[in-house]
Amino acid sequence: MGTTRQDFEGLFSIYIWIGSGVAVLVFAAVAFALIRYRAREGRRPSRRSDSHLLEGLVAVLILAVVALLVTRTFTTEAAEDESRTTPVRIDVTAFRWGWRFTYPGEGVSVIGNSAANPTFAVPADRAVSFSLRTLDVIHSFWIPEERFKRDAIPGRVNRFDIDFEGSGSEEGLCAEFCGLEHSKMGFEVFVLSPASYQRWLAAHRGGAA
Amino acid sequence: MSAEPGTAPPLPAAPNLAAPAEGAIGWIASTDHKRTAAKIGVASLVFFIASGVLALAMRTELAQPGLQFISDQTYNEFFSMHGSGMIFLFLTPAALALGLYFVPLQIGAAEIALPRLALFGFWTYLCGGLTMYAGFFTDNGAGSDGWTAAAPLSNSAFTPGIGMDMWVIGAGLAVLGSLLIGVTILLTLFRLRAPGMTMLRLPVFSWSMVVTAFMVVGSFPVLVVTMGLLLYERHVGSVFSGSNGAIAFQHLFWFYGHPVVYVMFFPFVGAVAEVVATFSRRRFFGYKALVLSLLVFTALSMAVWAHHMFTTGGVQNQYFSLTSHLLAVPAGIEYLDLIATMIGGAILLRTPMLFALGFILQFLIGGLTGIVVASPPIDYHVHDTFFVVGHFHYTLFAGSLFGLLAGVHYWFPKATGAMLREGLGKLSFWLLVIGANVTFFPMFFLGFDGMQRRVPDYAPRLGDLNLLSSIGAGVIALGILVFLVNVVVSLRRRQPAGDDPWQGQTLEWATSSPPPRHNFQGPLPPIESHAPLFDRRLAEEPA
Repeated sequence: MGTTRQDFEGLFSIYIWIGSGVAVLVFAAVAFALIRYRAREGRRPSRRSDSHLLEGLVAVLILAVVALLVTRTFTTEAAEDESRTTPVRIDVTAFRWGWRFTYPGEGVSVIGNSAANPTFAVPADRAVSFSLRTLDVIHSFWIPEERFKRDAIPGRVNRFDIDFEGSGSEEGLCAEFCGLEHSKMGFEVFVLSPASYQRWLAAHRGGAA
Repeated sequence: MSAEPGTAPPLPAAPNLAAPAEGAIGWIASTDHKRTAAKIGVASLVFFIASGVLALAMRTELAQPGLQFISDQTYNEFFSMHGSGMIFLFLTPAALALGLYFVPLQIGAAEIALPRLALFGFWTYLCGGLTMYAGFFTDNGAGSDGWTAAAPLSNSAFTPGIGMDMWVIGAGLAVLGSLLIGVTILLTLFRLRAPGMTMLRLPVFSWSMVVTAFMVVGSFPVLVVTMGLLLYERHVGSVFSGSNGAIAFQHLFWFYGHPVVYVMFFPFVGAVAEVVATFSRRRFFGYKALVLSLLVFTALSMAVWAHHMFTTGGVQNQYFSLTSHLLAVPAGIEYLDLIATMIGGAILLRTPMLFALGFILQFLIGGLTGIVVASPPIDYHVHDTFFVVGHFHYTLFAGSLFGLLAGVHYWFPKATGAMLREGLGKLSFWLLVIGANVTFFPMFFLGFDGMQRRVPDYAPRLGDLNLLSSIGAGVIALGILVFLVNVVVSLRRRQPAGDDPWQGQTLEWATSSPPPRHNFQGPLPPIESHAPLFDRRLAEEPA
């Protein structure tokens, strides 16, 4: 069970390699046809008009590749859906056009909008469990560095886990079109060491609700 | 005026019809399927140019980070109307117009079934399109919730104004019009085939229209009703406001929205297959396998819609991921058959064939990246980003539009009696190839690196690739301009085409160019396969 980023990269590289392989094969076949079978004096086109064996073989081959891809997808998806033990919990509320991040039981809450994007902190190397809501329309919580997004849907709470690694700051965006200031509805995540994370919480305790 | 398939002779010109009116009025009022199709073609071309101009305006704004030319609100209207225009008002009707024109000719019919319904469909679609675009002249501007009009953003609280109402009505009318046209094509294919034209002798393009019409009939009514519900929501009371409303709207929309992307694909697969067979000088390879793959593709097309909803957390992702991956099987058979037709042929690289090759190779990139986003853990990153924008522009622009242009260059001589210029055709082809790839390939990297869809502004680090993409859009515009010049020049200074300039294989090449009012004069050639003219040529050839 890896981070969302590792999960993504493992799968993505398989898909891109297989996809590139297929693309090379098709481009090569077309190039071969164009070079070898151009119309010229004396060329008589083949009269063969089908080959069920060839078609069957190609169908089975593609089905086998599909089976491989689907199996890898399903195992990755199942691992991502598994809930983590003792995660850090953060409630995220999206609204037009900003975000509020609340740490239940910690008395910490940060909020920001399109004019001043909010910043929140997570501890490194520990699962973070998000509960995502929206106050109005659909938004989508996207952290490109973590290769993950999830929609905030009216009337629903979406729960998901992200494991942050290393340290530093990562950019977050609203990915679902939500109206006038959609493009400015960003946020920032600080990924901190356990000690820094505790200091960050202490500094923001009792802050803006 | 219907005929039992296989029993009645092709309809002779009906003797008791009043003489059709002449001139512009006669042309506009005509129920001739060829004229109805031409009207749809002209209208869709106008909507294509309008929606393309919106795209150029967007790419101009996106050339540099920051807002330079247009406001957020204007940008939102532009991308909404660009997508809506291209899908509801251009590619869908253009695909159906191709069918409306050539299906009766290919199956040896004198007329379309329900010609007045087809004409009514055209007017309904045109009114829808004009209504939608007229939103620009209202106080709050045109519709601005994308082409998908997701609830609850599309309700009257979040997107007020009559422009959005006009968008909803326009979308409903345009799709209703397309539905009616699709119905007439389906009926024609089942009821008006010439004697001897069995289902397994339908030309490949006509088969592609059978399955296209199936999808139209199966999915378009859902969109029409959904637009009705949205209008109710905007003015009367709650429909999509409950806790499941937002998800329910997406199910309804995508139940239409996914089949429609194949409505904008299959007719061009069919057209490209005809072009590839004709310009390879041989019978299309794997006819039956292709028919079967189209049917399988159609069945799957109605079972993949919620792959647009992986990130909602509200659908069974595995099911829709599986059905979406399975599309690779029929698609793979189609590619095999197209390429196997070329291998062993005697290939002539005329303009229609170039566009067909562009379709095959560029759609491939769209199709393969489609399989990539069929995997939910991958989609969690790239969904709603420029990666997906790149993906579907490779399918719809670099794919479908090239397929449409292959068909247009192939059939233009039949419909007008004049040849298009080869030199201008090839110039427009290469400009469009360069333009499409320079515009859309960088989008994969932009999306991957953190550029979400539907934004007029983005992080400064993404500036270079955006500039490249905007330059590509300019090259596309040039390519389209050359194509339009080609059409005008070819119609003004006509090079007569004759009945069969390409050594075509199907019945439309057995009649005059343009065909007479009732399509054929004199007896049809014998129909013993899906390529009757090819059979005839073979029989005449010394063994």
